[in-house]
Formats: sequence, structure tokens, C-alpha cells
Amino acid sequence: MTSASQISRPRSRKGVDGWRWTGRFFLVFMILYTAIPMVWMLLTSIKSGFAAMQFPPQWWPSEPTLASYQKLLDPQNSVGQDFLRFFWNSLFVSVCTTILAVLVAVPAAYAFSRFRFPGRRFLFFAVLLRNMFPAVIFLVPLFILMRVLGLVNTHGSLILTYLTFGLPLAIWLLKGFYDNIPIQLEQAARIDGATRFQAFLLIVTPLSVPGIIATAIYSFIGAWNEYIYAATFLTKNDQLTLPVGIQRFFSENTTDFPGLMAASFIMSVPVVVLFLVLQKYFVRALTEGAVKH
Amino acid sequence: MTTVAGHAGLSRKHFVVQPSLLQQMWTSRADYLYVLPAIVVMLVVIAYPIYYTIDLSFFKTPPGLQLRDKIFVGVDNYTSILSSEVFWRVTLNTVIWTVASTLIAFVLGFGSALALHRDFAGRAVLRAILIIPWVISAVAASYIWKWMYHSDFGLIGAVLVQLGIVDTQPNFIDNIYSVLPSLIVVNIWREFPFAMIMMMAGLQTVPEQLLRAARVDGASAWQRFWHITLPHMAGVSTVTILLLAVANFNSFIIPWIMTGGGPSNASHIWITHIYELAFGRQRWGVAAAYSVLLFIILMSLGYFYVRALSANEKKEQGA
Amino acid sequence: MAEVVLQHVMKYYGNLAAVNDVNFTVNDGEFVALVGPSGCGKTTTLNLIAGLLPMSGGDISIGDRIVNDLDPKDRDIAMVFQNYALYPNKSVYKNLAFPLQMRKLPNDEIDRKVQAAAKVLDITYLLERKPRELSGGQQQRVALGRALVRDPAVFLMDEPLSNLDAKLRVQMRSEIKRFHQDLNATIVYVTHDQLEAVTMADKMAVMNGGLLQQYDTPARVFANPINMFVAGFIGSPAMSLVPLQASTVDGRVSLSSVEGWSLPLSDANARKVASAKSAKVVLGARHSTIRLHKEAATGFVPAKVYTVEPTGDITFVQAFLSGAIVNISLPPTVSVAPDEMVWLEFDQERIHLFDGETEMALRAD
Repeated sequence: MTSASQISRPRSRKGVDGWRWTGRFFLVFMILYTAIPMVWMLLTSIKSGFAAMQFPPQWWPSEPTLASYQKLLDPQNSVGQDFLRFFWNSLFVSVCTTILAVLVAVPAAYAFSRFRFPGRRFLFFAVLLRNMFPAVIFLVPLFILMRVLGLVNTHGSLILTYLTFGLPLAIWLLKGFYDNIPIQLEQAARIDGATRFQAFLLIVTPLSVPGIIATAIYSFIGAWNEYIYAATFLTKNDQLTLPVGIQRFFSENTTDFPGLMAASFIMSVPVVVLFLVLQKYFVRALTEGAVKH
Repeated sequence: MTTVAGHAGLSRKHFVVQPSLLQQMWTSRADYLYVLPAIVVMLVVIAYPIYYTIDLSFFKTPPGLQLRDKIFVGVDNYTSILSSEVFWRVTLNTVIWTVASTLIAFVLGFGSALALHRDFAGRAVLRAILIIPWVISAVAASYIWKWMYHSDFGLIGAVLVQLGIVDTQPNFIDNIYSVLPSLIVVNIWREFPFAMIMMMAGLQTVPEQLLRAARVDGASAWQRFWHITLPHMAGVSTVTILLLAVANFNSFIIPWIMTGGGPSNASHIWITHIYELAFGRQRWGVAAAYSVLLFIILMSLGYFYVRALSANEKKEQGA
Repeated sequence: MAEVVLQHVMKYYGNLAAVNDVNFTVNDGEFVALVGPSGCGKTTTLNLIAGLLPMSGGDISIGDRIVNDLDPKDRDIAMVFQNYALYPNKSVYKNLAFPLQMRKLPNDEIDRKVQAAAKVLDITYLLERKPRELSGGQQQRVALGRALVRDPAVFLMDEPLSNLDAKLRVQMRSEIKRFHQDLNATIVYVTHDQLEAVTMADKMAVMNGGLLQQYDTPARVFANPINMFVAGFIGSPAMSLVPLQASTVDGRVSLSSVEGWSLPLSDANARKVASAKSAKVVLGARHSTIRLHKEAATGFVPAKVYTVEPTGDITFVQAFLSGAIVNISLPPTVSVAPDEMVWLEFDQERIHLFDGETEMALRAD
């Protein structure tokens, strides 16, 4: 018997069937709601432009083609050149953000979890409050700040900005992990001859690897998907990231839906793969970070 | 060799002068080093923008002029916002958007979590599929749904026509009545997985023994859900709903990419409106004043957020 | 090995004194148990000795050094934790090697010491395993091994047996005692289980509410509890404590009950009662010093049986006496039934008398 008995094991047969069928119908509905748009994206992306624009639609592509993908990924062709450049830009910005976010969030989360310095609660909530504010509020001042720092039209402006909106949740998630590592381990390490920092580095950090992975995925996905700052801070075509690049692409080719769907699909692949491979860490981090404290 | 300390046998609290705050801060000075990087980044990228926004909200920026040529206008920006019709329209849209998205996403997420709580073959696959919309970018989601809603070749319209429910392809997002609900559907699509993950996590904390005890006591499935599971989930639910509400209140990408706020402001919400004022029409001062109003609303939401979080934390420490 | 001296040690959490002016000396090679109910300050005291918490006042010295401001790593101590605190991502071998690596010993010496410690504790066959693959008892040995491998001046142990099941606990208890004898180690051992303290320690420090109540050998603490707390805490079943009134009946100093009877006291006990601050006196007696009679006689006091618990060789009886519960042990040949009226006889040589106001033991001056 599993832990789900509260909805599935009532006393009477009739109750069992009633609840079970409600649950099944609901799940089927949710799967359809979730999957149909994604399936339709895939089906459209392997149609020709002509095949996509038909009424009634071709439910299944009569002549599937990978032309849209070839065009987007062909470094010889100008569309492909742009698209691949956007892709690398996104990758660069996301990887840098991820590395920096982990480096900054790990010590901060550890401190919030372990130390009892004055102002700890205030600082912790101040960090969390950053989550409350919409990007738009920060756009103008940050734009000016980036100009002062000489970062306009550089990927540095995006990395710095993404860092700030990724950090609060990263710190929060990691704190949940550290809270679950018994403090006796560090005490033992310190008695065994380690300094406090060595105990953190040699004993605690290896144990928090799942949390660090989760934090990294979170930062990566956040940076990969971000649109507003990228659309505002970057004006040069060769620096755009994927979300902005695709928007430009679409405003120039308003009827190329197969191309747009193919681009959307390619843009989704890295984050979805990353997520599917590492989802157990991700879900666990959210669980420990969000629910347990 | 027997020692006795004073009045033994009674546990007494001894009151002494606590070390001063500054002393405490000095003794824990090394601790601050760990948080310093985070604090510095936060200060630069948060405190300064907030100060700047408040300052700018009292100035007018004539179109075509540089920001540095701003003119002080006092509270004019605020009075003109509060007396404009668009403001109330956008506010109503924002309320509908936030409340509907939050509640429906929460209910669907909670429902999915319950439906996936019991182990069955393929559960992990279904869970992964349900989470994907939350992972992919809102820009991609906007385009996917824009295509689903397309007024000539959209899938949804075509299905409705084929089923004989409507005669011609409905125009979902070019219609001032259907645009907001249509966008809310997209937003929920992207957001319910978050609620689902949170509630799944919460469900794992419901003590199995209590549920068994209730079953022995003869409680029906519904009664067990209502009297045990639900009260136990109150804390997680509060946090989840607050996080969803804040995220929805701050939504931008879906309405911006899909409709740009149109038609005739029918899908403008606060954030898209502010963005358009600032970057579309260069009315920085008014946009800043809007932002300050937004701050005030968010701070009050934030107050509940922090209270819900610290209530959870206290509960845990007490346990 | 070294001695540990605590002088006027204080620890405040905010305004609460978790450890309040504690003084005691652990002699070289001595096994001292810090014992008391949860929240009494015993673990905090241990953590202060370890240097895991900063002190609010006082001095702690280990060997000849004052260690107040030294890091834990510089105090030459080893510690065994309640949850063992084995590094979960390291093998047993690496767990044992870690303290030596931190001291930058050469690898061949580390290996030699780890193997030696593993042999002493009979865990050589576990060296390649991870902690989660070990049973509770095995983890316990590894934790001891990690403490042993360094040959520290003092061993600190924080409830090391409380996570083990009852049978294993008894076994490990004798092993730790053996460990102490073989190494002639200085050990400070925290436990909430008075039986552990009594059976293992050379001396026990009984704590309550942050205060050190009594520090002495287990035998003397048992025989002469300094106050009602220690009397009630040490010994199982607990010493019975019956609040009574000192009075003079027929010219003899007696203890009177609200139930109407009175118990005349011997001269020695009468002198003790004379030193009480008021007429409130608490009579204390251990279960084995009370005799149960079925008939009344002079000097006997009436009680009503509440529960009867046969354990095989001894039958424990709880009875109401003047509103308090009294524990009595009987040979299994005597049979009594709940609600039966019985008469109790106290051994005047072995009763304890406490001042009802101060809760301190009364002494004959």
C-alpha cells in the first residue's frame, strides 16, 4: 500500500470507483490540456508553410518535412546563421549566470541556514522580497546603471541582472538543503581538526551537491527563458538571445508558422532535456526549500 | 566532594544584560562574509532602482528629450494616473487576470497532485509531461498558443467548427471579450505545474498514521481529505497561492507577445501598460509613478508573503 | 590524557542561563557522566567544553591550558555524537582517516593508525563501506573509532547510546566502559539515562535548569542525594517523596499527615528536622527500604495499594500514602491486591528528609 490512500481507499466499493474515476478523468483532461499544444507545435513544425495554412487543418502532416529545422540550423544560410548565433548567445549567458549564481548563493544560503547573526531574518526576507517585484520596474534604472557600468549591449548586463532575479529562489532552495544536513557533521569535522570553512567546504558542500544541481538548473532555465531584459538591454542583432531573436524573426516572417514552431521547439529542447534528466533534484529542492520551512 | 549550586531543584531563569547589538554584530562579523556577495549584488540591482523610480515619478519627461532634461512636476503624474479611464480599465484587467489565473492554476495543480499522489504505472511519465509547460519559455508558449488560437488556421477554432459547435472560426484574441480569458488559459497552462509540484511536496508531509487512524474511525475518503489532508496543507497552500499571485500580478510576456495589450487595451495589465508607457511612449515619469503605486500594492502582498513564510518557519521550529 | 576543569562556566541564550555557574573537575583518566533531564544544560556544557559554542563567562581548561578562546580543532579533544555524525559520503576508512588528514599526517602513518583503531574496535571488515550500509551498532563503533584514532586528551560523548535499541545499548555500555579502562581515557559523557550514568561513570554530575546539582561518585549520589531533584532523578523506580508536617506528638518529634496519622522519628532524624526552615518536611524513601505489612502496629503508617506489577523476582507495588505515591518492592511470595489497605514501615536509618521550602536534604548538625 502506498501513501496515497486518502483518495483511493475509501470503505465502500462504490466510493472507490467514484473517486478513482474522477481522478482518472481529471488526469486525462490535464494531459490533453498540457500535451495538445506541444504536440501541435511539433506537428506544425514538420509541415510545409503551405500545408500549415489550410482549413480544415491537416491533422497529421501529409508530407512531413524537416525543411524548417534545416533552414534554422544551416550555418550557410542567413536565417540559420542568425538563429545559431542567438542559440550560442543564450547558452553563453545562461551558463555564466548559472556558475555565478551557484558561487554566490551557496555561501549565502549556508549562512542563512547555520549562523545566527543579527539581522539574519531581515536580510533573508529582504532577499526573498526581490521575487516580489516585476522586471519592468527595474528596467529603466537598471538600463541607466548598465550605462554607468559600461555594460549596455553586452552580455554582462544580462548576466548581472539574471543573477539578481535568480538568487533569491536559489538561496531559498539551498537553505532548505542545508537545513536538512545535521549540524553535528560540521561539529564533528571541527573537532576532527577542520576550521569552520574547511568543514563547510570538505563536509557540507559535497553533501549539498543535489541542492547545488537543482539551483543550477533553476538558474539556467530562468536565464534561458528570460525575455524582458534581453529585449531592452540588447539592441545589436548579433548579441540577441533566443527569445528576443525569435520575436524578431517572427515579426519579419509573419506567416512562417512551421518555422516559428520549429524555432520554439529548438528553444525548448535544452531546458526540457535538462529538466527531464535532473528533475528528481529539481523537484526535491523545491520540496525541501519550499515546503519544509 | 559534593558541590551544590545555590537553590537547587528549581529551574530559574536568570536575567542578565544581553550583549549589545553592535557587540553581537562584531562577534559574528565572519558570518556576514558569507552573505556579503549576495547583499552587494542585491543592493546595487535593487535598492538603487527603487530609489531611482521613486525619484523619477515626480518628474515629467517631454517626448523626444533625453531623460536628463526631466522637469519636476510634483504629484501631477499620480493625479493624472488616478483620474485616467485607462488606469481603471487596466486595473480591472489586472485583478481579473491575477485572481482567475491564481485560483484556477492552484485548483488544477492541487487536483493533479492528488491524482498523481497514488503510485501507478506510468506516474513518473505523466508527472514529467505535466511539468514541461512550466519549464519551456513563456515566449515559446505564447507563440504556440497564438498559433493554436489563430483566427484562420488555429487548431482550437478548427476543432470547434468540425464538431459543429460554431459555424466559423472564432477570433479568440482579436476580440475584446474573449481576449483576456484566452490569455488566462495560456497563463494557467504555464503555471499550474508549479502549484502541482508544491502541493505534491505538501502531500508527502501529511502523516500517514493520521489517515490510517481516521480510516479506522470510519471516516470516508472525502471526510479524510476534508478533515486531515486539507488542514495539513494550509501552510503550503498559502505560500503557493501567494507565490502564484505575485507571479501573475507581475506577468508580462504572455500578454505582451500575444496581443501587446490589445485590442483597445482589453488585455493590458499593469506591467504591460507600464512597459508601453515607458518604452513605447517615452512617458518615463508616468511609468515611474505607476511603478511606485505597484510597489505599494506589492509591499502589502509581500507583508502577507513574509508572514506566511515565517509562520511556516516557526511551526517547523516548534515541532 | 589530561584533566578538565570548569570554573564558573556560564552560557546565556538571550536572557536564559542555559548553563549557570557550573564548576567541576574531571581528573585525568576519570569517566564523568553529565546527567539530567532534557533541557537541563548538560549537552550545552559538553558543547562548551568542545568549543562548539562560545561561553558567556567562566574558564575551561584542558590539561594545563585555558582553552576558552581556542577553536575545537585546537583543543585536543574527540567527540562522539548522538546521531554518530559519520560523514555520509565518505567510506568508513575515510571517516577514520579524516581527523588525521586534517592534522596533515603522512599517509602511511594515517593508514597505520586507521588500521590499528579498526582492529581495536573490530571493524576492519567494514572499512570500505559507506555509513548508510552499517547497522546502528556498527555506526556507533565507527564513531568511537574516529574519536579513538587521534589519541586525544579528552573524549566527549553526547548520548552515544540513545539511538540504539535496548539490547544493543546494554552491550555497547559495557564496551564503552571497557574502552575507558583499557585506554585509561578521560571521558565526559552526557546522558539523560541515570542508569547509564550510574553503571558506567566514576563520577556523575547531576544537572537541572542549567545548575549543577550534585557532583560525586554514583554510590554517594545515590546514598546521599543533596536535594529532592537528585533524589527523584537517580534510582529506578524513583525515590518516593511524601510531603508531611513536622510536629511533636507525645513529646516525640514526628511527621504528621493530613490523613491523621503520625510517624515518630528517631533521635538522629529528629535533629535533622530541627534544622528545617519551616514545619514542611518531605519524607523520602527508596523502594527497597520500605516494608509492607498487612497488620497495623506502632510506627507503621496506613497506605492504600494502587497498582501491583509483578516482574518475576520482584513485585513492585505503588501505594497512596498521604496523597503521594510510594514505590515498594516485595518478594513475589507476598500477594497484595489493588485497593487493599496495607501498613508501611520505614527504616529510620535509611530514610531521607528534605526541607519542604528549599527542597534541600536536611542534615543533622
